[in-house]
Amino acid sequence: MRSFEYGDEKIGGKEIMIAIPSMVIGVGILSLPRSISVDTIGSDGWIVLVIGGLISVLMVWLMAKLASGFPHQSFFSYASTIVSKPVAIVLTFLFAILFISVAAYDIRTLGHISQQYLFDHTPVEVVTLSFLLVVVYAVAGSRAGLFRLNMLFLPIIIFIIAIVLVMNLKWLDLTNLLPVFQTDVKGYLKGIHTSSLSYMGISIVLFYIAFVDQPKKAPKMVVLGMSIPIVMYVLIYLTCLMVFGYTATSHLLFPTIDLAKRVELPGGILERVEAIFFVVWTMGVFNTTVMAVDVAIMALHSIFKKMKKMQLIFILSPVIYYIALFPRDTGQIILFGDFLGTYMVSFAFITTIVLIVIAKIRGVKPNDKTNA
Amino acid sequence: MARRAFSKGRKNQGKQKNNEQSTTTKLESYLAANIQQLKQLLDQPGDLVIREFTVGEANITSAIVYIDGLIDRQLVQDSILGNLQDISVKRQSPEESTELFNEIYQTFISITSIEKGNTLDDVANAIVSGKTVFLLDGQETVLIMDTKGGETRSIEQPISETVVRGPRAAFVENLGTNLSLLRRSIQTPDLRFKTHQIGKRSKRSLVVAYVDGVINPKIVKEVNRRLEMIDIDDAPESGFIEQWIEDSFLSPFPQMNTTERADKAASGLLQGKVVILLDGTPFVLIAPVTLGDILKSPEDYYERWLIGSLLRSLRYFAAFIALFLPALYISLVTIHPGLLPSELALSIAASRQGVPFPPVVEAFLMVITMELLQEAGIRLPTPIGQTIGIVGGLVVGESAVSAGIVSPIMVIVVALTAIAAYANPSFSIGITFRIVRFGFMLAASILGLFGIILVYIMINIHLVNLKSFGIPYSTPFAPTMARDWKDLVIRAPMTMLTKRPKFLEPEDAKSGNKGAKDS
Repeated sequence: MRSFEYGDEKIGGKEIMIAIPSMVIGVGILSLPRSISVDTIGSDGWIVLVIGGLISVLMVWLMAKLASGFPHQSFFSYASTIVSKPVAIVLTFLFAILFISVAAYDIRTLGHISQQYLFDHTPVEVVTLSFLLVVVYAVAGSRAGLFRLNMLFLPIIIFIIAIVLVMNLKWLDLTNLLPVFQTDVKGYLKGIHTSSLSYMGISIVLFYIAFVDQPKKAPKMVVLGMSIPIVMYVLIYLTCLMVFGYTATSHLLFPTIDLAKRVELPGGILERVEAIFFVVWTMGVFNTTVMAVDVAIMALHSIFKKMKKMQLIFILSPVIYYIALFPRDTGQIILFGDFLGTYMVSFAFITTIVLIVIAKIRGVKPNDKTNA
Repeated sequence: MARRAFSKGRKNQGKQKNNEQSTTTKLESYLAANIQQLKQLLDQPGDLVIREFTVGEANITSAIVYIDGLIDRQLVQDSILGNLQDISVKRQSPEESTELFNEIYQTFISITSIEKGNTLDDVANAIVSGKTVFLLDGQETVLIMDTKGGETRSIEQPISETVVRGPRAAFVENLGTNLSLLRRSIQTPDLRFKTHQIGKRSKRSLVVAYVDGVINPKIVKEVNRRLEMIDIDDAPESGFIEQWIEDSFLSPFPQMNTTERADKAASGLLQGKVVILLDGTPFVLIAPVTLGDILKSPEDYYERWLIGSLLRSLRYFAAFIALFLPALYISLVTIHPGLLPSELALSIAASRQGVPFPPVVEAFLMVITMELLQEAGIRLPTPIGQTIGIVGGLVVGESAVSAGIVSPIMVIVVALTAIAAYANPSFSIGITFRIVRFGFMLAASILGLFGIILVYIMINIHLVNLKSFGIPYSTPFAPTMARDWKDLVIRAPMTMLTKRPKFLEPEDAKSGNKGAKDS
């Protein structure tokens, strides 16, 4: 019955702009103030967050530039044009593996946090499986639908963050910001490393630009989109610091959720607001996970052209579930996250830069071949 | 699935056309033979009236044939029979049969709609649809005159969609009356009516109404394409049409708006939608619709904007309650009692003292009882219906509490939910809410708040993938069309609503009859 062309798979500038913060804002932000405080002293964390953010903005802009130079072409297709096909296969495959791991990490972290703040008895396997099934349902739908979901959920997430920040105003203690500028260079470098990991989702740009209807506008849009998480991260970090103090922040497992714990609703309609916060946050994690899985499937689909999308989904889902349940305890989950972040970010950055440089050297001309 | 079903439908339709052609019998030139054949074809029903008489100075035998009860008797007497019998008395008339026939066709019959027919099928179909047929001896052609009449319901107030302020006219079963209601609402030559014949056995007229120059022509084309694929014996209600042409039959969400209000249909037309009217039912379909459209009521526009906006926000809140309240109760009482303020948690625990079931069972018990009451209330004759309300609402609720089967808070939850489900203007979306509510309750009983949010995400996934005639169901929320938000959860002042909905891609984007300053 669908002959009427309207909501086709093309993505507008607005959609790609929203996709960036939706991808970046996930589970990372919940523990971010801790990991930043561990690396830096006092309130110096905002500097590393901004610098890490600016690096990510630069990277996302480069990625968008690179991809929009080859309009309506998949990553695999333009990577094969720039560096030969075998190399492109390896790159695409690595991206697929990384995105599968990102999805698995998100799902596992979500399950882990849910046990801390929501359930005591429900096993993590059940929570992760039910969440994964919902993700699979979303990925099985249309790609345009995913971008619409971003549009629907991101405002809710920003809204709940704003509520948490505003409700914490009365707890703010400015003296907690001191001391300033005490961190040494080594600490800054480590902090920048940590903060750029928190922006790791941005490499979806390499894949999604292929569906943007006006690729020329895309670099501007993704940079605009990137500014949302940076502002949000800095605000959350500073609020955590001012509410809990430097020492406490660096010892809390998920400071952002603990921030929500401090919220007291007027009239005491609900207690334990952090549970509500976490439940709403599920939508944010969902957006991240669903795009990670979608990109992984897209990457694999461009290599294995004969496989159907549904087949790939059915093969990938158990793999994701298996990886998600792999880490045994909190320590291993954090280790997995750091490991993954480091690889993801450095691989994406290096690939982008190398591709741009080779394209420049070999003078590969972007062509309008429609091969999305 | 739908596509396969439709391709099959198309094949069948082709077959049906072939059948029609093979049974077509030409009329003969002898009146007696024609009448004999006609009687045979219709098997001499008791309501078939064959009035034979002679006409003209030459006294040529002739007859008019109709079915009693389908025609307007006064009209047949005055404009057909009377005139024909006058011929021999008052005026000169041709002697020869063909000349006489032409003369009658051109001069004597004062019926507005008249056409010629020359097959037995033409005659039979015309008679059963309320037309009168004139046969003249020596002619192979007959005159078919539109004399539709008989008992019909007059225009009354809408029953299922009442408003305090606004036009009272509701559609009736008669297609002609309904079309005239639309014409009276929208007085423009651009209002188009495209007629389809629906039904293999019983032919019914179906009209696709739209305003040319406003609507996106692609939508009209798509609607007509889908209507042409319909293959059923008879369509007694527009629900049959709706189910044949909707985008997804698996979705619990209605993909067309149903209304019996003429003003609602007219405003849909002016927004750039089509209205599908079927003969024999007062319910018309408005397509395409989005979720936002379904939660709108015409009254939002008749009241001043502040009131309209507040009412509409209230309706969104009601939708929220109708969907989530029992699920929230289950999850908060069963899985996350810590979330409630301790005093409330204590009072709930105290009220549940002695209730033998867990909250899940309690909630399902009460919600299903409520569904039963609603269903029984519709079925029972009006006088007893009220009794059911009292017996069900008061006695069962009160006694269930005092018997210790359910807690009083559960009764409050169920009552609020039922009220909230009926606060929205569309009956069909109310049913949707009732279905989806059970999903939320199940999820809440297993995974608590996390389950609720998962089902909520799933419904969102479903909505963003759903389309109504190609228009994404979740617009203007997503794909975001900020301009259309002026008339979504709030209803901006009339003077600001100068544009038609963007998501319909209308040809004429500016709606000139609203907002004087832009014109």
